[in-house]
Amino acid sequence: MSRHRDVRNINLEDELDDDALSDGGEEEMTAEQQLQMNDAFERIRDTLGEEGLSEIPDSEIKDAIWYYHFDIEQSLDWCLHEQEKRRAAKLRQAAREREKAQKRMEAAASRTASPIPKGKKGPKTPVRSGTATPLRGLDQRALDLSALNLTEKEEKPQVPEEPPKVSFAREKLLEEAKKALDAEGSNNKKTVSLVVIGHVDAGKSTLMGRLLYELGRLDEKTRVANERGSTKVGKSSFSWAWSLDGTTEERERGITMDIALQSMTTPHRHITILDAPGHKDFIPNMISGAAQADCALLVVDASTGEFEAGFNRGGQTREHIVLVRSLGVSQVIIAVNKLDQVNWDKDRYDEIVDFIRPFLTQSGFQSSKTKFVPVSAMQGINLTTRGDDASKELRSWYEGPSLVDYLDQLEPPTRDIYAPLRIPISNVFKGQGAGVAVSGRLCGGVVQVGDRLSVLPGDESAVVKTIELEEESVQWAAAGSNVTIYLTSIDPVHLNIGSVLCYPSEPVPLATIFTARIIVFDIQVPITSGTSVELFHHSRDVSATIASLIATLDRTTGEIVKKKPRVLTKGSSAEVQIVLRTTSMSGPSVVRPVPLEPFSANKDMGRILLRRGGETIGAGIVLEIFG
Amino acid sequence: MKLVNKHVDKHGAGHVTLRPEDDEDMWHLYNLIQKGDSVRATAIRRVQKTSNTGSIDSQRIRLNLTIEVNRVEFSSYAAPSTSSGGDPSGEAGSSSANSSTASLHISGRVISENQHVKLGAFHTLDIETDRDVRIEKADGWDSVALARVEEAIVPGRGAEVGAVVCGEGTAAFCLLSEHMTLVTGRISVSIPRKAAASGTSQHEKALTKFYGTIFDGFMRHIPYSNVGLKAIVIASPGWVKDSVYDHLIQEAGRRGDKVLQKSLKEKGVKVHISSPHVHSLVEVLQSPQIVSQLKETKFAREGIALDKFHKMLSIDELRAWYGPKHVVLAADRGAIGTLLISDELFRASDPETRKKYVALVEAVQQKGGEVVIFSSMHESGQQLNQLSGIAAILTFPLDIEVVEAEEKEAEEERKRAEEAEAE
Repeated sequence: MSRHRDVRNINLEDELDDDALSDGGEEEMTAEQQLQMNDAFERIRDTLGEEGLSEIPDSEIKDAIWYYHFDIEQSLDWCLHEQEKRRAAKLRQAAREREKAQKRMEAAASRTASPIPKGKKGPKTPVRSGTATPLRGLDQRALDLSALNLTEKEEKPQVPEEPPKVSFAREKLLEEAKKALDAEGSNNKKTVSLVVIGHVDAGKSTLMGRLLYELGRLDEKTRVANERGSTKVGKSSFSWAWSLDGTTEERERGITMDIALQSMTTPHRHITILDAPGHKDFIPNMISGAAQADCALLVVDASTGEFEAGFNRGGQTREHIVLVRSLGVSQVIIAVNKLDQVNWDKDRYDEIVDFIRPFLTQSGFQSSKTKFVPVSAMQGINLTTRGDDASKELRSWYEGPSLVDYLDQLEPPTRDIYAPLRIPISNVFKGQGAGVAVSGRLCGGVVQVGDRLSVLPGDESAVVKTIELEEESVQWAAAGSNVTIYLTSIDPVHLNIGSVLCYPSEPVPLATIFTARIIVFDIQVPITSGTSVELFHHSRDVSATIASLIATLDRTTGEIVKKKPRVLTKGSSAEVQIVLRTTSMSGPSVVRPVPLEPFSANKDMGRILLRRGGETIGAGIVLEIFG
Repeated sequence: MKLVNKHVDKHGAGHVTLRPEDDEDMWHLYNLIQKGDSVRATAIRRVQKTSNTGSIDSQRIRLNLTIEVNRVEFSSYAAPSTSSGGDPSGEAGSSSANSSTASLHISGRVISENQHVKLGAFHTLDIETDRDVRIEKADGWDSVALARVEEAIVPGRGAEVGAVVCGEGTAAFCLLSEHMTLVTGRISVSIPRKAAASGTSQHEKALTKFYGTIFDGFMRHIPYSNVGLKAIVIASPGWVKDSVYDHLIQEAGRRGDKVLQKSLKEKGVKVHISSPHVHSLVEVLQSPQIVSQLKETKFAREGIALDKFHKMLSIDELRAWYGPKHVVLAADRGAIGTLLISDELFRASDPETRKKYVALVEAVQQKGGEVVIFSSMHESGQQLNQLSGIAAILTFPLDIEVVEAEEKEAEEERKRAEEAEAE
């Protein structure tokens, strides 16, 4: 259709001719042909260059494609040949005779258009008329060429890969980042990162797998493959979780062991999902994920006995809640899952909500920032909609928003783009081709392609080759985004999970001794001075000692209650000195420092967690670093 | 260690001659020898002679030297011997034929006259296995030192345990003997996180490589064929331990290593711990599988005592005291049921401090209390060191503040009495 219209627009005489010949018997292109046409056209256009620069107008290309039955190579050949011819002609003509030449060219164009009417009988039986003969020889040559397997692409000169250049000055970059962030609110989608937490087997991965499917992030093919695979090993209930639990071990055991990173889009938000493991042995991984998140989605199991098991002492529900709160997450959505197993009992839902709500308030979540939503992950009820028959029972008593509606309302926190750049590395892997890729979240500042970054602790630096954000390559990224950065000019052995990337001019402080203000959690054995703990900071965990208890503080006012206490019992708040432990028991003491910053300088970099014997005993903020 | 000769009178004066045999004996000697003691051992020294014509003739001579100890240095792994001061005596070599890795250096002035070495010249003794060492205490042999000698010379003592403490990507090989925990090797492999959908193989490839590295490290660091080895512990959070154990068995089978297969099957123990750090060894020693096997060994006893202390701290704070000042106060009141004390305190350079602690230990023992001397080469000892090195479980609750008030009062009363006397 469009082809013909184009032709008409350009070549009036031809059109008249055409009409006279065809008597309205013009055939239409089928949808398939249209597709082929567009595809071919784009490829040829790419090779030839813009319409204005190349000599060949769009319409001619299309005609040629039609003529050669969508054979790109032949059409291209013809086009190139034509282009060459025209250029040569153009050169030969004097400026004054230009118009004449133009006319002649138009004549040539009309010649090229002529195959069209011949092709009327159907593209399968083209009649090569006399007008097409000059092309015939070419045709043959093109065939030979294709036999030699010399495709067009190879003929194109290879552009050597240039070292990435810094495209902006820093001030300018900051300005632009600021502008982009401001604009984010008005028209673009806001980006937030969400950590999914909850007791083991509450259905976190299943819920996420289902949600990704509902939002179209998970294609049918993968879903079917997962379903088949999981049924085959007799774990069909894990089929949704398989889309996030990728390793063989996770699938064998039916348990998430490490953070899975995914992204999805709701009408107004771009959400990075960190699916955390629920098993208590993998809390270090969960901490690493939660440290990269703005918001949390708590999944609780509503089935009888399971909720209680997860919420009571020894369950991870409580621990996860206090952990994410201590890591600076202030918004939480609570998805009460598996309600289908209790027949959508409203009383059960209310009971659970009443159970959790006071605990959330006590942990420091504002009630306006906590949302409850009843769902069933396996059946996909109330994730996006609850219109179908299966959710009839839920509809009878629940009228609030669905899970996605809540996700769509998540507020991204303020980003500190003027702070010095800090990127704690949460993953290191081989990128495509050369170079090494690291991923992590920017805890302040802005990074752009071409920057040289230091890797601390250590004495190495690397150059940013590309930055990938939400699976798209970008020129720069600002605080708060979870990015994958491809680095060059560094040996991958120097990049460790837990190291921090920063500008060489603004290095992150390295600490072995520091003071911190901590809140002691619900613990059995009190903390004495000299308690061995594991110190968690982003993705790093090291063994440390609480060297001295400086003072106990009032939890609300922060005033000193008692200096030099003997022990810290549960629920207390205190100022303590923490010293990293040496790795050897005798001989020269080697302490590997951790990159830390006082909370006053950078909030994300100043939060720490303390664990002992598999339970979290406290969380705190860094006050001062002594070295 | 072998006791060659012992001559100590009832006041503690006298000397003891010992022959160290392995690493642990070096540790014992390190704990026995203090500043001010006189030590006699064989040494190799380069001696220079100037002949009448003025030509200088230099010779190495093996000789027995007695020195007054100024400094004692212990290192648990074989480091190239660094000779100290101006006395180049180091070349004697630090490692003897057997697999000894610990070394002990004692430096000080020569106090016995010798035809080659001048009195008062400095020398650093490099203590070697199977060479006799004679020790004479400056302040006489106290009960703790004598107990240490007794303990050290028990033949065939000690259960040895080899342990691999691992997590995903990290592993530490440890050897536990009666008084020491040696971290003989560490592995740290960076393992990419699992990726969504694509690139899963990167994670798994790295894991396979990691298991391979563990196997190599295991072969090198754990003397699995040794009969003295009571258990081979593989400890980790999560399921890494199972994977590692399976991989070891599998690899042993593939290589046809019957000895390894047999020892893994007989001695292999998988223990769950909460973190992949070496300090989780304490958890290993408290796990039921290990306790039943290693009951009555010193390090198990230490672990249990420390655990008891922590438990007491949570149940009844008034019955768990720590810190030297407080513990001494508790001892004065005869309240101590179990005294936990680190051997580090006895190594104090100040003899007065040592005397104080020895007196404390004796006092507690006299009153029927139990004394556990922790080895600071063990994880439990390290933790006790962090906790000021001394702690006590009391037989009855005592309020620290009340006791402190009492002490203050007593102090004032004494002062008043003194003043009254003066008047």
